[in-house]
Amino acid sequence: MSLTNEEILRYSRHLIMPEVALAGQEKLAAARVLCIGAGGLGSPVALYLAAAGVGTLGIVDFDVVDSTNLQRQVIHTTADVGRPKVDSAVEKIRAINPHVDVKPFRTALSSGNALEIFRDFDLVVDGTDNFATRYLVNDACVLSAIPYVYASVFRFEGQASVFATADGPCYRCLYPEPPPPGMVPSCAEGGVLGVLPGLLGVVQATEAIKLILGTGDPLVGRLLLVDALSMRFREVRIKRNPDCPVCGSSPTVRELIDYEQFCGIRGEESYQGTAVPEISPEELKQLIDGGSDLLVLDVREPHEREICDIGGTLIPIDDLPARVHELDSGRDIVAYCKSGVRSARAVEFLQSIGFRRVRNLSGGINAWAERIDPKMPRY
Amino acid sequence: MIRVELPAHLRTLARVGREVTVEVEGAVTVSSVLDALEARYPTLRGTIRDHTSRHRRPFIRFFADGEDLSLASPEEPLPASVAQGREPLLVIGAIAGG
Repeated sequence: MSLTNEEILRYSRHLIMPEVALAGQEKLAAARVLCIGAGGLGSPVALYLAAAGVGTLGIVDFDVVDSTNLQRQVIHTTADVGRPKVDSAVEKIRAINPHVDVKPFRTALSSGNALEIFRDFDLVVDGTDNFATRYLVNDACVLSAIPYVYASVFRFEGQASVFATADGPCYRCLYPEPPPPGMVPSCAEGGVLGVLPGLLGVVQATEAIKLILGTGDPLVGRLLLVDALSMRFREVRIKRNPDCPVCGSSPTVRELIDYEQFCGIRGEESYQGTAVPEISPEELKQLIDGGSDLLVLDVREPHEREICDIGGTLIPIDDLPARVHELDSGRDIVAYCKSGVRSARAVEFLQSIGFRRVRNLSGGINAWAERIDPKMPRY
Repeated sequence: MIRVELPAHLRTLARVGREVTVEVEGAVTVSSVLDALEARYPTLRGTIRDHTSRHRRPFIRFFADGEDLSLASPEEPLPASVAQGREPLLVIGAIAGG
C-alpha cells in the first residue's frame, strides 16, 4: 500500500520518526481497527486513530447522542443530539481524515453478531459501558485471536490493559466474574469526570497504534491504574490464568454465551424486571394531589438534592441501615433516586427487614421531571 | 500501621477516603489485614470476601508492590513494604464505565 503525496505530507511527523517511518505508516493504513462504542472512550479513540491514519475504522454503537453525553463524548456536538452516534462519528472521522475507510455498525454488539463483525478486523478497542458487553468483547476477541485493547472508567479512576494476545492474560483472567448487579454503580449512577475517558481513551489509542506498528512495550500482562484526583498512574502485573474458562489450557467457553445472564438478568444499569413493587410518576402525582399520607423517601445524596427534589425525607441509600428507625413501617412509602436503581435497592432492603408497604418510583426523579414537571432539571 | 487502598464503590459504602489504615496484631497477611479492615468498617463485610466462604470475590483483586497477590494464599505474609506501611495493599475492583 503506497501513500500519496498528500498523505506523505499529512503524516510527516510520523514519517520522520524511525519507529514509525514509511513502513509504519503503511502498516497503519493497512490496519483494520474496530471501536466498540462511540462514547466517552470511543470518542478519543476514533478521533486519534483516524488522525493517525488507521486505514479502516469500524464503529459499533446502537445509541443516539444525548445531551448528557456531551460533557465527555467529544466526537459529538450539540447539533448532533438525537442523531445516531455512528452517523455523528462517521461524519467527524471523515472530516478529520478522508483517507480512512469508516465502517459504521448501528447495532448493539451481541453474541449473535460479534464474531461475524470481528472477522474483518485486526484488533478491537473496547469503549463500552457495561459488564455484559465487556465479557462479550473479551470472549469474542479470544475466540477470534484478536488483541483486545481495554479501558474502563468510573468517577475519577480508570483501568487499562491489552488482553487476548498470544501470550498475555485476558479480561476473565483478571476478573473471572462480574460484580452482582447494582453493586458497582455505572457512570450514569455514580458519575465520571468528563476528561477521564479522554485520558484513558488516548491510552487505548496509543496501545492500538503500538500493536499495529509492532513497536514498544504494549500493556500486555500489565494493568494500568489511573487516579485523576491524585494524578497518579500505577502499574500492576497480571498473569494469564491457566484455569481461565476462555483462554486457559482447557477452556470450557468455546463459543459466545448469554452475557446478560452471565452478568445477572437485570443488567447493571437497571432493576427492571425484578419483583420490587413500583409506582409510576403519574400514580405518585395522583396520590400526592389526593392528599395521601404516604411518605416519600429520597435515597440520593445531599448534593443531588440540591439539583432538584420532589420533597420527602432525605436518607442517602448507604445511611439507610443506620437510620431506618426514622421510618414508620406502617405508612405507605415511595422511595426515589435519580433513575430508580438505588431506590430499588432501598426497597429491597426495607422489604428484607419487614417493611411491606414500600414501592419504588419507576424511572426515578428523572422520569418525574420528564412526565410530571417539565420545568424540573434532569441530570 | 497498614495502609489499604479501596476501590471507589467500597469507599462510598464505608464512607472513607481513598486510603484507610488499620492495625494488625501478629502476622501481616491478606487475611489479617482484611479481618482488621472489616472489624473497623463492618459495612465492608461480604464485599471483598464472600460472607460465608471468606474467599476473595472474583471481581476484586489484591496487589502489593506492583505484584498480584490474588491467587496466593491469603495466609502468606505480605511484603515488608506493606507490613511496614511504606506501600499500601491495593484492593482493586472491576469497573465498566466507558
